[in-house]
Amino acid sequence: MAGMFQEEGSSSVTSSPLQFFSLMSLSPGLGSPYPWLREMKSEERGLCLIRLLVACANHVAAGSVENANIGLEHISHLSSPDGDTMQRIAAYFTEALADRMLKGWPGLHKALNSTKITSVSEEILVKRLFFELCPFLRLSYVLTNQAILEAMEGEKVVHIIDLHSYESAQWINLLQLLSARPEGPPHLRITGIHEQKEVLEQMAHRLNEEAEKLDIPFQFNPVVSRLENLDVQSLRVKTGEALAVSSVLQLHSLLTFDDEVLRRNSPLVSKNINSGNLQGVFQMNSRTLGDFLEKDVSNVYSPSPDSTSSSPLSLATSQKMMNFLNALWGLSPKLMVVTEQESNHNGYSLIDRIMESLNYYAALFDCLESTVPRASMERQKVEKMLFGEEIKNIIACEGLERKERHEKLEKWIPRFEVAGFCRVPLSYHAILQARRLLQSYGYDGYKIKEESGCLVICWHNQPLYSVSAWRFRRYS
Amino acid sequence: IGFWCTKRLMNMAAPSSATNFFGMREEDQNEIKQQQSSISTSSAAPPIAPQKKKRNLPGTPNPDAEVIALSPKTLMATNRFICEVCNKGFQREQNLQLHRRGHNLPWKLKQKTTKEVKRKVYLCPEPTCVHHDASRALGDLTGIKKHYSRKHGEKKYKCEKCSKKYAVQSDWKAHSKTCGTREYRCDCGTLFSRRDSFITHRAFCDALAQESAMHPSSLSTIGSHLFGRNHMNLGLSSQISQLHDQNHPSGNMLRLGSAGGVKYEHLIPRSHPSSFSQPMPSPAFLIPDSNQEYHQEQSHQHGLLSSKPFHGLMQLPDLQTSSSNTQSSAAASLFTLGFFSASNNGNGMTNSENAAANSNSTNHSGFLIPDQFSMGDQVGTGLSSLYNTSMEQESPAAPHMSATALLQKAAQMGSTTSNTSASLLKGLGNTSTSGSKPNFGRSYSGSCGGESLRPEMENENHLQGLMNSFANGDSSIFGRGTEQNNSFGGYSGSQNSTKFGNREEGKLQQNFSLSIGGTDRMTLDFLGVGGGIVRNMGGGFSQREQQHDGMDMSSLEPKINSAQARHVFGDPKLQ
Repeated sequence: MAGMFQEEGSSSVTSSPLQFFSLMSLSPGLGSPYPWLREMKSEERGLCLIRLLVACANHVAAGSVENANIGLEHISHLSSPDGDTMQRIAAYFTEALADRMLKGWPGLHKALNSTKITSVSEEILVKRLFFELCPFLRLSYVLTNQAILEAMEGEKVVHIIDLHSYESAQWINLLQLLSARPEGPPHLRITGIHEQKEVLEQMAHRLNEEAEKLDIPFQFNPVVSRLENLDVQSLRVKTGEALAVSSVLQLHSLLTFDDEVLRRNSPLVSKNINSGNLQGVFQMNSRTLGDFLEKDVSNVYSPSPDSTSSSPLSLATSQKMMNFLNALWGLSPKLMVVTEQESNHNGYSLIDRIMESLNYYAALFDCLESTVPRASMERQKVEKMLFGEEIKNIIACEGLERKERHEKLEKWIPRFEVAGFCRVPLSYHAILQARRLLQSYGYDGYKIKEESGCLVICWHNQPLYSVSAWRFRRYS
Repeated sequence: IGFWCTKRLMNMAAPSSATNFFGMREEDQNEIKQQQSSISTSSAAPPIAPQKKKRNLPGTPNPDAEVIALSPKTLMATNRFICEVCNKGFQREQNLQLHRRGHNLPWKLKQKTTKEVKRKVYLCPEPTCVHHDASRALGDLTGIKKHYSRKHGEKKYKCEKCSKKYAVQSDWKAHSKTCGTREYRCDCGTLFSRRDSFITHRAFCDALAQESAMHPSSLSTIGSHLFGRNHMNLGLSSQISQLHDQNHPSGNMLRLGSAGGVKYEHLIPRSHPSSFSQPMPSPAFLIPDSNQEYHQEQSHQHGLLSSKPFHGLMQLPDLQTSSSNTQSSAAASLFTLGFFSASNNGNGMTNSENAAANSNSTNHSGFLIPDQFSMGDQVGTGLSSLYNTSMEQESPAAPHMSATALLQKAAQMGSTTSNTSASLLKGLGNTSTSGSKPNFGRSYSGSCGGESLRPEMENENHLQGLMNSFANGDSSIFGRGTEQNNSFGGYSGSQNSTKFGNREEGKLQQNFSLSIGGTDRMTLDFLGVGGGIVRNMGGGFSQREQQHDGMDMSSLEPKINSAQARHVFGDPKLQ
């Protein structure tokens, strides 16, 4: 019987006994057509979701909307933004995949997003929640501050540039550390960069207040700008002051570049991007489905060394990054501490990106799952508005829109070195403090790995964030 | 650090192996000094060869030298050698002797001796000073005098130009010669003779610099006023906003937990009693410590949220701001329930340190897991969602797999991960070529067929069984299911089967037909999707049933029953 079924299955679906059911379409009016699916055991449902997601991702990458649509529908019956980890992940990934497909119809996409409210304050609130729920940001701040404290030992005038200034906690902590210095606090100036004036005003207020309390000569220098438009001259760094730069999950946004330029310049790349892009979708209407599939197949089979092509290009294309780093170098900073997502979400191939981010965000979701109750609104907010948005950006966006171009330390290190920085190993004391901080959270899932003076924060075995410190190196 | 290490080593080594060190002759020392400079980078050498890394620190004397300790008064006396006739003082004895000659007093100039002069070293009279120790005494009297004045004395000499003070006159003289010759001029017009004061000034004069760049220099003062006012306005506007007084004591923003070092006392709160304004629902206090701490943390977060500095900027959802009122009813009832069942179960709960883990295995399942408690705390979710969540809890025997673990498992099964994406693509290619019409299911089976044929066959077996049973369309499905799959077994044994049969069967049946018939492509998809689903149908059933049951009953008589229900149906894993 099994054999027969198999035969039938492979030859023609319509002749199978399932024909009986086949006319019943999935009608949304009835609600979920198979609620029992939702009651599957978590593990099996999870595995099922992974397979569906992967298959669906392939369809999206191939641009076959029809197939992807079916896949997404299946997933939608299993996924849930408030279920177990895999259900949540699936929900956000399908959203991202759908968003990507929908961009093939710009009209639809824009219409669907036309009333979307983006409020900076909401974003800050969510980041604050992330700061509260997970130790990562706190860890980054502690490590950054400790590195600053050590580098600035004995300095009388300290200037810190905060590339994305919205969280006063980090600097309040630094003010306290500095005020406890045996040689007394330095004159401290913090230049905060943020696109929203009000945020900087709040920062200034909070920090001035704290500095006054601690009796530290302090000045907050607000620079209203997006990082990518930042004019380094406007930072007004002066000779004689000791400069430190702090970047927490910011630098990757400078890796953004316009894919279009590349596409025009290089036919090979154009093909690659095509296969992972929505060109197919645009053309679909004018072709038969058969054509469409064949075309996609040819795309998939075309010699497209997606992953290999990214490496030579990445250097050429991160011009914005190099310009920025060179400008920073020109300020001869005594220290630059960089926290980044330790993952490669900047590949050319969409599938690679999806797979990388699937593994990465799975660990982040797991981390929340084991530390925060499922029904927590805070958790859902972090998942939706922080992780979900990042996932969406990684998967659904291309070109200048794609900002979440996380890259691994192995790529950052040569980049900084080329720009004239050399590594400052994080001190034993700093690492000790990081470990203590993690211990204080009381979950053994958090791990710290030390890699040649840099620190990688992990959830179990999955690296999540890297912290590295750098300083200006004079060319000899 | 390297320097510091050396210093430490020296300090430790000095007293013990003093003879060793200091017994050396001077030439040796010089030689060593040279060696030292060449190997100074490798100062972390083992202490077995101390003479190699011995560095002649300033004030490390020859051990043979006679150590002289002078009182501050004698040390600072300008004319220690007094003429007994005219009371004139002299700094040196030789000078006094020469002076005595004039009084026709007996005098005696020291003769140059052929014998090597006994070296003298001088201690700093200040007990807290490093040079108070014999091992660090300074080699000449003038040196110790200057040292004493500079480090421990009053700075009597003030430079008229730059107001810098010096304790030693010669220092002051040297400064006076250069003071004013090197000038630093700030954009605001102020002159500085010293670079560091200039820098300090500049750091806080940038507004002036900015203004003066735009205006003639005469306006620079106005500029500074403008700036100052701006600043004040900034301060004022934010002071007006209420959040100002709600601000957290900043000290807690980054405080480390109790495990943290002393140094980080100000960093990161573990629990923050002052921040939670609302009292705990009382049952919560009966939870063991660990829970309570958790609780506190939750409400701490809560507190943090509502008193965020950014309050004015961001609209906090009503949920959070008003939860203290709205939650109490819902939460309280939950807590009560949870508490009751806990107390039924005995005191073990309250004593156990890790109640979170333990309570999982008790038969009232979900309700005592800390999740539930804190959910109450966070509220807004209300009773129903809470209930749902608790029902969704995986069976205690099998804690649910993390997504990471699932991904790993999936990778082992050869279906995913970035490594295999190429093969996936290939699989996709295969399917796409073979199908002339969009065949979703086939593409799935294709994508994993290559890798795991055998499981697929098995799956098909399962499916076959299911198909048949579906076709039969009666409760024998479940019987068959039992044959096919153990997990069905649990169901047939359940006491509620009648109910199921009567009420739910049809519905379920419908669901089944819908699900299978939804798309013909779907069926094959299930093959591709694998044993997971098919096997799970059984598990799914029992769980679902349990939930249904729980739901129904709970509407009448909540909680306890649901726990029973869960018990009756057992967890799928056990079946």
